Amino acid sequence: MDLNWSAEEAAFRDEVRTFLEQHLTPELRRAGTLMTSVYADHEASMAWQAILHERGWAAPAWPVEYGGCDWTPLQHYIFSRECALAGAPALSPMGIRMVAHAIIGFGTDEQKDWFLPRILTGEVFFCQGYSEPESGSDLASLSMAAVDDGDDLVCTGSKIWTTHAAQANWIFCLVRTSKTGKKQEGITFLLIDMTTPGIEIRPLVMTSGEEVQNQVFFDAVRVPKANVLGRIDDGWTVAKYLLNFERGGAMAPMLQVWADAVADQAAGQPGPDGVPLTDDPVFRLRLADVRVRTDILEILEFRTIAALAKGHDPGPAASMLKILGTELSQTITELALEAAGPRGRIYQPHATMPGGPVPDFVAPDSGYVSGEPWQAVAPLRYFNDRAGSIYAGSNEIQRNILAKAALGL
Amino acid sequence: MDFSFTDEQELLRTTVGKFLADRYGLESSRAAAKTGAGWQPNIWRAFAEDLGILGATLPESAGGLGGGSIELMIITEALGHALVIEPFVETVVLAGGLLQRAGGPRAEELLARIAAGDAVVAVAAEEPASAGTWHDVTTTARRDGDDWVLDGAKIAVSSAPLASQLLVTARTSGAQRDTTGISLFLLDLDQTSVAMEPVRTIDDRRAADVTFDGLRLPADALLGAEGRAWPALEATVDEATAAIVSEAVGCLRRVLADTVDYTKQRQQFGQPISSFQVLAHRMVDMHLEVQQAVAAQYLAVMKLDAEPAERARAVSAAKATVARAARFVGQSAVQTHGAMGMTEELALGHYFKRLTAIEYQFGSRDRHLARYAGLTATR
Repeated sequence: MDLNWSAEEAAFRDEVRTFLEQHLTPELRRAGTLMTSVYADHEASMAWQAILHERGWAAPAWPVEYGGCDWTPLQHYIFSRECALAGAPALSPMGIRMVAHAIIGFGTDEQKDWFLPRILTGEVFFCQGYSEPESGSDLASLSMAAVDDGDDLVCTGSKIWTTHAAQANWIFCLVRTSKTGKKQEGITFLLIDMTTPGIEIRPLVMTSGEEVQNQVFFDAVRVPKANVLGRIDDGWTVAKYLLNFERGGAMAPMLQVWADAVADQAAGQPGPDGVPLTDDPVFRLRLADVRVRTDILEILEFRTIAALAKGHDPGPAASMLKILGTELSQTITELALEAAGPRGRIYQPHATMPGGPVPDFVAPDSGYVSGEPWQAVAPLRYFNDRAGSIYAGSNEIQRNILAKAALGL
Repeated sequence: MDFSFTDEQELLRTTVGKFLADRYGLESSRAAAKTGAGWQPNIWRAFAEDLGILGATLPESAGGLGGGSIELMIITEALGHALVIEPFVETVVLAGGLLQRAGGPRAEELLARIAAGDAVVAVAAEEPASAGTWHDVTTTARRDGDDWVLDGAKIAVSSAPLASQLLVTARTSGAQRDTTGISLFLLDLDQTSVAMEPVRTIDDRRAADVTFDGLRLPADALLGAEGRAWPALEATVDEATAAIVSEAVGCLRRVLADTVDYTKQRQQFGQPISSFQVLAHRMVDMHLEVQQAVAAQYLAVMKLDAEPAERARAVSAAKATVARAARFVGQSAVQTHGAMGMTEELALGHYFKRLTAIEYQFGSRDRHLARYAGLTATR
């Protein structure tokens, strides 16, 4: 047992660090710092993707032949870790980290040749169409119809919680092509051009005031069968395959950065009795608790990656890491909001870099901001971070998975 | 980055686990604790001679095997899983660590006796006013001619009634909470009569309150340099803390497994209670705590040889984590078992008591969080 990086791993870490120092501009770092959710400002995120693409690092997890990197699981973890520690803006996960793996695994040569290079350059930007108003955790109950009509499927229905629908030019959807048999059967994985006639987007204003999420309506939208991924009626297989790529994230380093930021911020804020907030014994212990939990999460991430590196199945570790990481993240947003003090109640999204448009808000002409930008970020982040325990399989669903897989219940 | 055992470590794990599964009984050990001698000397002898675990982590010069912190982790986790009451941590880790760091012929001779299973050594450090702070020492040792004279009181000294030797912290200079001026003394209990009130602990171990009223000791009772025992004490207590963190992991795994089994067997409303989601999710939360405790164990153990501040921070992170796990998993297991969980008829009740003791031993969760905060740089 050993907690240290090997000489090769340390050399790789230094290589990544040097690259980040040279290419992460102050503007890009600023976009990382002022994120109000897990989604960075769209333009900053795409600019960073272009820089990474030039280095060949935009999609490291892809097979080398499609533009990925020949890295070990530990190298992938180190890369994610260093990006988080350096404050790089997050790339949108839907294209590179999600649908691309499905295209690589199930796509035809034509689909691979057309989509993969364009996803890398950002020319094709995907959003995800899984959830529906009546199908959340029970995803397989989805009902958006795709009716066979010659060379096309004609799609009618609606998808919801579609992040970046307005920015995306493609959407990957699970649609219903058959109503007979089990509900998991009769689902098809479909790639849809967002410019096709019959698609309408209704932005959803979140509690942060941002339009990050959307509902997308499909009214007799004609999609060529050539855009089916895998086989018709076999989309559930593709969706399950995609779940395998949720493993191996580096959440602990990001949480360390956030906790350090909160510590810095709180050090400049008054606590009770005139001492800095970080000297208030209660706040101090809560901050220590968050950092301890982050240290522990990091060990659990290390253990998972080390198991993957040895070719072992880490079991249901992904569900555990998801629960622990998102709950910890939510706790950090609570501390940040507390540190923000009375200014945490002031709504000033113009001082932040939100993940989507903010409608019905007029910034003061003077650009006035009460306090520091982080005090404007804190409440928005607090509200947006509620999503962590809901998305990608709610934490209750993750507990159901663990009950079965880890405890045999 | 590697989380696997060597073949030798894996062999140690299976050997100790098998021995304890075959030969260590919950009933016989509780009987020894309550109505017997407070321990099982034959088991201790087997630890030394059949298993070799009493010397496994002691230096080869003392007849040990020179194992490191990973071996310590493997042994203590197995001891926790079997709820062993014999004073391994007190004798091998705490006293053994202090003796190695003090050095000198008396220390080396005693280390060899520990490895051979011939000595049980208790460490008398905590005092009525010290509140778990080991450098808060009011017991004094003053020179009188060639002798040392000890005055003061120690409380809840684990395994003292079983011990053949006692290691005592005493102040030879400085103020009550100074880290300098603390010295370490070794007493042979078969040669020196010490006023001792033996007690039983909540987790079925033996301890004693010890009073020194002008106790006269020979010059060679002082171990190591006068007034400079603190760095050794701090490092050794961190090792002992890592050892009980690991012991707790053994207890926690057993308690969770027992709880899962129980809910699969227990029928209410015509079905096993494991089928109720509210209980399943609580058991998943117990699982999450156990996994975090395992990570805490790894963190503490693998940082034991790091620089003092880094070591202390890791050990405190681990102890704070395990204290929370011990409370949540212990209480949840009792709740899930219903009133049976409150009895001594099931193993669970005994494990819950040990976990509760561990929660506070070598400092509570709050104490370790505060220590961690103090060691975390604020920029």
